[in-house]
Amino acid sequence: MLRHLIVVPAYNEQDALPRTLETLQPLPEEYEILIVNDGSRDRTGAVAEAYAAQSRLPVHVLHLPVNAGIGVAVQTGYLFAQKMDRFHYVIQFDADGQHDVAALPKLVETAAREQLDLCIGSRFLDHGSTGYQSTMTRRFGIRFFSRLIAWLGGVRVTDPTSGLRCAGPRAWRRFAKHYPEDYPEPETLFWCVRNKLKVGEIPVQMHPRQGGVSSIRPHHAVYYMLKVSLAIVLDRLRPLGH
Amino acid sequence: MRLNAEILMMIGGVCAFLLTVWQVRSRDLREKYAVSWILVSLGLLACGLFPQMLKSLAEATHLSYPAAVLFLALGAIYLFGFSVSLSLTRQYRRTVRLMQEMAIQECRLRQLERQLTFSPQGKEQS
Repeated sequence: MLRHLIVVPAYNEQDALPRTLETLQPLPEEYEILIVNDGSRDRTGAVAEAYAAQSRLPVHVLHLPVNAGIGVAVQTGYLFAQKMDRFHYVIQFDADGQHDVAALPKLVETAAREQLDLCIGSRFLDHGSTGYQSTMTRRFGIRFFSRLIAWLGGVRVTDPTSGLRCAGPRAWRRFAKHYPEDYPEPETLFWCVRNKLKVGEIPVQMHPRQGGVSSIRPHHAVYYMLKVSLAIVLDRLRPLGH
Repeated sequence: MRLNAEILMMIGGVCAFLLTVWQVRSRDLREKYAVSWILVSLGLLACGLFPQMLKSLAEATHLSYPAAVLFLALGAIYLFGFSVSLSLTRQYRRTVRLMQEMAIQECRLRQLERQLTFSPQGKEQS
């Protein structure tokens, strides 16, 4: 039986984490959960360990000694999958309660059926969706990256910043080697598109965060836009596969 | 004694030299980097002690106006700063990889300890 790993990066998520982890319990046996405690200063690590001790599904907890950012936390999950060598798909799932657990099996099924290397849960694919679609400023940023990736890579993705993503072996083995330390989603998506990995999306519902603080602070927005745009444009100059 | 450029360079050279020696002594600066900083401080000191040397150099290179000196200084600062950024990037990558490996090994160790505790042999040992 193919096994899949759900990577839950968590930084100061002691309030939202228990509820998020509880929602993962009904998943089938083939799923394992990896909580990456990214140097939290609150009780996130203890909450994760307590959950691991009583969970029905296998749960692993990694503690990074200092806060290193979302990219490093997620990449640690890919490295873990590489070392364990028993997982087929690796799925990123936010600890803050924004993601809907019902989307996980659909992501995996779609990735398997359509042989996708990266399957993204999109907030914007279902036009009649009543789910949370982020603030207006962020939607502007999302549209900008969507167009930039379409222009430079030739593939249109509606939600390039979505943190709900299912990566197949070709994608996550590369991510284990190279992964941006901050704001990684649009850049890694572009790498997949440019290197002819198959990328797809499914519609998902998202919720407002249940606790904690977003890694993209309002005063970081300009830096975020510049850094990610530069990373995408410069990736275009690298040899393929690099 | 009037403060002029020569005296300022001598004071700067001595201060830079002492600062470098002090940081190496307290192990806050590696000898590898101290060599170049000591050369910079000695260069400053030499310019202060032998101003004619600087004038000869300026005449030889036809860079005898202040803006050119500023341009050279900025160029040197740029090269130093850029090499520091490159070094920091390499160090950052290594630190992150070490931290990730450590977290994974720690998790595997905890799992092994748990297995030992709950295995019959483990119970006998404890």
